Amino acid sequence: MSEVSDATPQQQVADMIEDGKAQQATVAVREPRVRRLNIIGRRNWFFLLSLVIIIPGIVSMWHNHFLLGIDFAGGTEFTVTFADKPDLATVERAVAAENANGSVIQTANGGYIIRYPPLGAAQQTNMQTDLQNRLGAMNVQQILEVGGTIAGETIFYSILAVVIASIAILALLAIRFRNVPGGWRAGFQFGGSALAALLHDVFVLTGVFSILGTVFNSRLGQIDAFFVTAVLTVVGFSVHDTIVVFDRIRENLRVSQRLSFEQVVNLSIMQTAARSIITSFTVVLVLAAIFIAGGATLQGLALALLIGIISGTYSSIFNAAPLLVVWRRLQPLR
Amino acid sequence: MQLVLSWPIRLFVVAVLVFSLFVDGAGYVYRFANHYPLQGNVPGLPPNFGGWQLYFHKGLDLAGGTHIDYSLTNFPAGQSRADVQQRTIAVINKRVNALNVSEPEIRGAGSNYDRITVDLAGVNAAQAQKTIGAVSKLVYTKWVADAKATGGPQPGYKPAFTGLTGDDIQSASAAIDSTGTSWVVNVSFTSGGGTRFDQLTTANVNACPGDPGTSQTANCPQRHLAIWLDLTQKDIDNWEDPSYVAKVSQPYDPGCLAAQTADTVCGKFLTDPITLTEIAGGNATISGAFTQQSAQDLATGINSGSLPVDLVALDVTQVSATLGAESVKLSLAAGLLGLAIVVLFMIIYYRMPGLLASLALLFYAGAVLAVFKVVPVTLTLAGITGFILSVGMAVDANVLIFERFKEEVRAGRTITAAVDAAVRRAWPAIRDSNTSTFITCVILGFVGPSVVKGFAITLAIGVLASLVSSIVVTHNLLAIVLTGSSFRRPALLGVDRVRSV
Repeated sequence: MSEVSDATPQQQVADMIEDGKAQQATVAVREPRVRRLNIIGRRNWFFLLSLVIIIPGIVSMWHNHFLLGIDFAGGTEFTVTFADKPDLATVERAVAAENANGSVIQTANGGYIIRYPPLGAAQQTNMQTDLQNRLGAMNVQQILEVGGTIAGETIFYSILAVVIASIAILALLAIRFRNVPGGWRAGFQFGGSALAALLHDVFVLTGVFSILGTVFNSRLGQIDAFFVTAVLTVVGFSVHDTIVVFDRIRENLRVSQRLSFEQVVNLSIMQTAARSIITSFTVVLVLAAIFIAGGATLQGLALALLIGIISGTYSSIFNAAPLLVVWRRLQPLR
Repeated sequence: MQLVLSWPIRLFVVAVLVFSLFVDGAGYVYRFANHYPLQGNVPGLPPNFGGWQLYFHKGLDLAGGTHIDYSLTNFPAGQSRADVQQRTIAVINKRVNALNVSEPEIRGAGSNYDRITVDLAGVNAAQAQKTIGAVSKLVYTKWVADAKATGGPQPGYKPAFTGLTGDDIQSASAAIDSTGTSWVVNVSFTSGGGTRFDQLTTANVNACPGDPGTSQTANCPQRHLAIWLDLTQKDIDNWEDPSYVAKVSQPYDPGCLAAQTADTVCGKFLTDPITLTEIAGGNATISGAFTQQSAQDLATGINSGSLPVDLVALDVTQVSATLGAESVKLSLAAGLLGLAIVVLFMIIYYRMPGLLASLALLFYAGAVLAVFKVVPVTLTLAGITGFILSVGMAVDANVLIFERFKEEVRAGRTITAAVDAAVRRAWPAIRDSNTSTFITCVILGFVGPSVVKGFAITLAIGVLASLVSSIVVTHNLLAIVLTGSSFRRPALLGVDRVRSV
């Protein structure tokens, strides 16, 4: 019944009994409705929902890959506004007429982002003059230039961060599940289910971004260093939610011998769901605030974190523990 | 739990609170102490408290400016790469100083001393690259008699090119001379330059007209060799114009030169030492009444004639100041909105404990902002996002405690016992959740690409501070408030019923 680790097992059992007594004694206590949900029984629906989101994402990643942000793709990017406020078609025509392989994206505030292959300092100035000649007075808000070397390094360090984080998380899982009742095979089942839930989040996030970036051609779906940051933050957040559920399962297995494995899992999910949902909810509120009010630059990061954290909470409640039940059925320990 | 509720801890929290308020409001404290109005511009900001400048250090994406990563190529053979990098940084510094940038940041980087990162606030990319990449040509001149030349370092004489230029110089450095008392500047020439310098000095020592028995110390203009940067034949042709000469003989002014038009005359003079003996071997020493600073300035001046390496811009980021200001406004709005929503949610859902948690959250936000000012942490857009995100995560621990609290009350504990048990039992979960976020931050901070480091740092600071605020501050506030029995009502505590013992 508890996330306690500092209490001894005896104390935990005692608490359990006291808990039970109190509930019998006070019939008037309103049990929150959520407690009656049978999540394990409906697990296939939840798996289906996850697949409905993940499969299109994987197809999109396979086919269309990603819309790469400038720090991964390299190139020169001008963020500009024009005094004459030309429409998108006009700007696109002007950029196409330059024959410099430029591409145009419209921003929310009526400005434009114009991206070229990497330009030198002199070329940059020429390009700006040229744009002004074609489209009238121009206000340059931002210039980003990323050469191939730096783009390569950013990709390298991003991948390195992902690899090290994966190792750290595997180590964390191994440490947390080293003494599950049932020996190393049980530990493997716990760790494996947690890992699957984690991969679920990564696939949901990358898949949604691939679709956003390539199918809807939205700048929000850009994959850049911030996206990698979001993925890692989400993974840290989600793996912990899963660990909390699994810790409860482990403890409930110890103290309630009468219940079946499935009942224990369902009970544990119910006991931890409120905290998982509410802690994620406060973060979601804040991210929604950043997404709405934080301006274009932060929207991609906020959206990635938003999707990832919602997915992480969903997967730790509706995927990780049900998956454990399925695994235990396929491969009983006794 | 006795420790958390003890008076030293409470004293500590109050001390942190007072300190944070002081640091966060440093500008207002300063205005108040000096009887300045609380609005508008006043002199002396940001305030300086005993050498401490307390203000938010804004990254370029918030302040506006240019960031360039340079790659260094063509390192001169046989010199320490670290030295070459330092010298290049010194030259870039010198050139950038001309732009009057506040706090230019020029840092060495790269695994093999082959990177330099330049951050310049308020400068556009074109200007920055032009200034840093400017090629100034160093020239040596001798003096030839010209009766009409009245100004300059040697009145009655005008300079003439000797053919010795910056290309012949390998490096210059400031050093203490052999007596160990005074500063000198050592100049080393390339082998071709050394030979030419030898010939020049030989010719110089032998010539003081009308003084055939030239003594070692005799001083005449012919024995001097002047060093200039960017001196042109046109300048020499104008040597008979006193006002022109007065300007051109000013110390070297790279800022003026970078912005030079056809009509402006800029200072180009570096030094005009006398040659005492023939100098063979390609190593010259310029001595004089140097201080450490002036010797280093001269060495940098001589070096700035040419960078010791080639610079290649790897990436350039230019953010306009208006966009930066806009970003500050937007992220401030996002932060306040986020804070308000979380506070509202906590109060509605958890009632009085939620209110106390919100107070702890404000304490947390104030303390973290103070840390940002004091450390100081350079705030970027990503960094602010990390901070705002940490606000959402900071209530995590409170949620864990309060959910636990409800459970304990439901299990039939008294309020006080339930609070204690809730804090104690929620602790492992709080510790773990913060650990996993902290691990992610550390990984990102060390191996992540540089743009996300700001995010990792602020989130990590936030996670650590939130531990203190949610455990210590909330628990203490709860304990204090719950001593009043009128607060122990179920409706206030957001629980179904309480055991009254």
